[in-house]
Amino acid sequence: MKKMLAVLLCVGMTVGLLSGCGKSGKQEKKDDVTTITIWHDKEDAVAEALQEELEKLEPEVHVVLEKKSDLTEALKVVGNDPKAAPDMYFFAHDKIGVYAEMGILAPITDIIPKEELNDYMDMTLEAATYKGDIYQLPIYYETLLFMYNRLYMTDEEVPKTTEELYAYMKENTQGGHYGFVEQHSTPYYAAGWIYGFGGYLINADGEPGLDCDETIQALKYHKKFVDLMPGETEYATVNTLFNEGKAHATIAGPWLIPTVKASGMDVGVAAMPIIDETGNPISPYTGVQGIQVLKYAAENKSEAVEKVLRQLMEPDIGVKLAQASGCAPANEKCYEMEEVTSDDVVMAMKETAENAVPMPNIPEMDVMWTVTGNLLTDVNMSGKDINESVKKAQKEAEQLIENMK
Amino acid sequence: MRKIVQKMSMLLSMIVMMMVVFQMPVKAAPAEDMTIIYTQVPQDWKEPCIWAWDEDGNNAFEAWPGETMKADSSNEGWYYAWVPSWANHVIINGNEGNIQTEEQILEDKNTWITVASEKEVAISYEQQTTGEIPEYVETFTVHAKVADSWKEPNLWAWSAPDGTNVYDAWPGEPMTEGEDGWYDMEVPTWVNSLIVNANNGEVQTEDLSVDAAEIWITVEENGSFDFTYDDPEQKEIGTIKVRVMAPTDWKEPNLWAWSAPDGTNVFSTWPGEPLEEDKNGWLKKEIPGWVNSLIVNGNDGSVQTSDISIETGKDVWLVVKGPEEAEVYYEEPQVEQQKAETKVENKKNDETTEKKNDMTIVWIIVAVAAVAVVVTGIVIVKKKKEN
Repeated sequence: MKKMLAVLLCVGMTVGLLSGCGKSGKQEKKDDVTTITIWHDKEDAVAEALQEELEKLEPEVHVVLEKKSDLTEALKVVGNDPKAAPDMYFFAHDKIGVYAEMGILAPITDIIPKEELNDYMDMTLEAATYKGDIYQLPIYYETLLFMYNRLYMTDEEVPKTTEELYAYMKENTQGGHYGFVEQHSTPYYAAGWIYGFGGYLINADGEPGLDCDETIQALKYHKKFVDLMPGETEYATVNTLFNEGKAHATIAGPWLIPTVKASGMDVGVAAMPIIDETGNPISPYTGVQGIQVLKYAAENKSEAVEKVLRQLMEPDIGVKLAQASGCAPANEKCYEMEEVTSDDVVMAMKETAENAVPMPNIPEMDVMWTVTGNLLTDVNMSGKDINESVKKAQKEAEQLIENMK
Repeated sequence: MRKIVQKMSMLLSMIVMMMVVFQMPVKAAPAEDMTIIYTQVPQDWKEPCIWAWDEDGNNAFEAWPGETMKADSSNEGWYYAWVPSWANHVIINGNEGNIQTEEQILEDKNTWITVASEKEVAISYEQQTTGEIPEYVETFTVHAKVADSWKEPNLWAWSAPDGTNVYDAWPGEPMTEGEDGWYDMEVPTWVNSLIVNANNGEVQTEDLSVDAAEIWITVEENGSFDFTYDDPEQKEIGTIKVRVMAPTDWKEPNLWAWSAPDGTNVFSTWPGEPLEEDKNGWLKKEIPGWVNSLIVNGNDGSVQTSDISIETGKDVWLVVKGPEEAEVYYEEPQVEQQKAETKVENKKNDETTEKKNDMTIVWIIVAVAAVAVVVTGIVIVKKKKEN
């Protein structure tokens, strides 16, 4: 019987080995309170900057950065298992609510006193807060930017208001070229218009706002811009139009900039246009990237965890990330340094962030992406009545949220 | 075992190659990354052009014979063109590409090429001309199609609102008539306003406000116009299907397709793209309808037909019997089914053998690994017993 077990075990090991499921180096950390494992999903430039910064803690604390492409799902599965879960994870703030509700996160203020976070931008701390507790140490943030191709649009021509943008679009959308394009029917992009009108997708209490007056006004106003853009709203189409010089301007993430620069474009970035109807700029969502602490590590490795957090509170890491990957630091002190203030893209993100809205971090937000996407398709692409469409979408969102309880 | 290693190396190489191909960057040339190439050519080489590419096969210009070189008025007999610095493989040619040098591989710096004949070329990186090197000006092409009554059309171009003109005096410069009925002209990218005129400036369009991008303008007799940034000729024709019967010993046949005489290629790099299996033993590929020239090749481009001329906009069937023997049909011909079947059968057999070989490799690895671990397991059990 033992033989049989051993053989089965070995076959299992073989299959595991062949399917690439073998893991190594994980067992050592749980028994060693000076080793901290951090899961992340970041690009190499960001991971390398973090690794370099955290190596300064050696030999007192050894930090292992592990890239996990399925980080959010993996945490849902193993977050409660101290043997399998990481000690900390580096990710956007918008999943905080889900994990806090699961009871796997510790507020970082359990380790770092709140008053020591005064150097952080308010917006980033707001993003990190769920039900009154701060669950993330913000490191940097990303927000959409207004970008333009200087071959067509001079710096002086950059529209300061949405009506100027509309006039520019009318004048320059012809012959297969577009004055301006965006993913007009994707919630993440359309949110900037909705919030600029004072509307919202969902509020802090988990109540959808698709049928509120401000959201309806935003959808109506936005529609005339949509009519001057291509019907196709996919990420690839919109970015290709801009990258290939078929669109003069766009609203896109900073991740597009390296691509368009590589294609030879002289790309400019500018503040979001002010919506004439409200006096507010287009106010996109922002994602705050930072580090979260799992409850087990906070309770059992508090000394090492604190050292990691304090190392990442140094302005150096913000500067390094700005230089390495164009990340906009969350720590205000970084903006006193020339290396950061001389970066046009980072500074444009900071300006946009002053009016940007942190993506909701409550679990109910998960259902809003699909419902809002369908609403935008109905209004922008299928030409359905706005009032009827928002009522239907609101009802659907409320029902789905109810089902979550 | 050596074969297994070879197979695995081949598989790995293919994966790496595929990754490289899919990650191939779009080539572009910011103004600061241009080098000037000067050339002197024999007197009977008319209108010298330069064709340039990089070692990955990215072309600097859309179509053979490449960029027409400009005569340097300060240095008689010298012509020049600006080339992206990454495109360091060049050919100088003349007489619409009918005479040419061999491939020259250059350093990333301004270059003076003296061509004595097709085979005799001298390269210098020391300035061989006198005076200042001309400034690089990025341009885009304006195409215009005008009414029959509009004779010798000219282009007038300027930048608004500052009013900087490209040409010294109205009516501007005459546009060059192409074989496709369109008149062409290159203008600097700082231009954003155009007027097409003709009959020595007596008839003209109103001002056109345009982007600095290749543009096609259609002008009616009364001067009204329409324009597009998408090539209207290409859009009208659509696509055609090319069906091919290739020799059985031509492995993995590819199609290379282009438009002559302008040399616009469908595919970015030789040997083109693989033909796909179709019914009745034919291989097929869908390509733009403006193509009028084809080459079928096999064995990774090492065997090929000569140029095959076809009519544009029509589906075509090619029966290739050898490098110099290809028959062209515009309706499906009756060919020896046996041959077609044999070819497909061979291909299937090849694929099956390949698959079998690949599976064999996988099973060998699984078996070796399983045996090793099982043996280890038994040893552990034995050790336990001993203990």
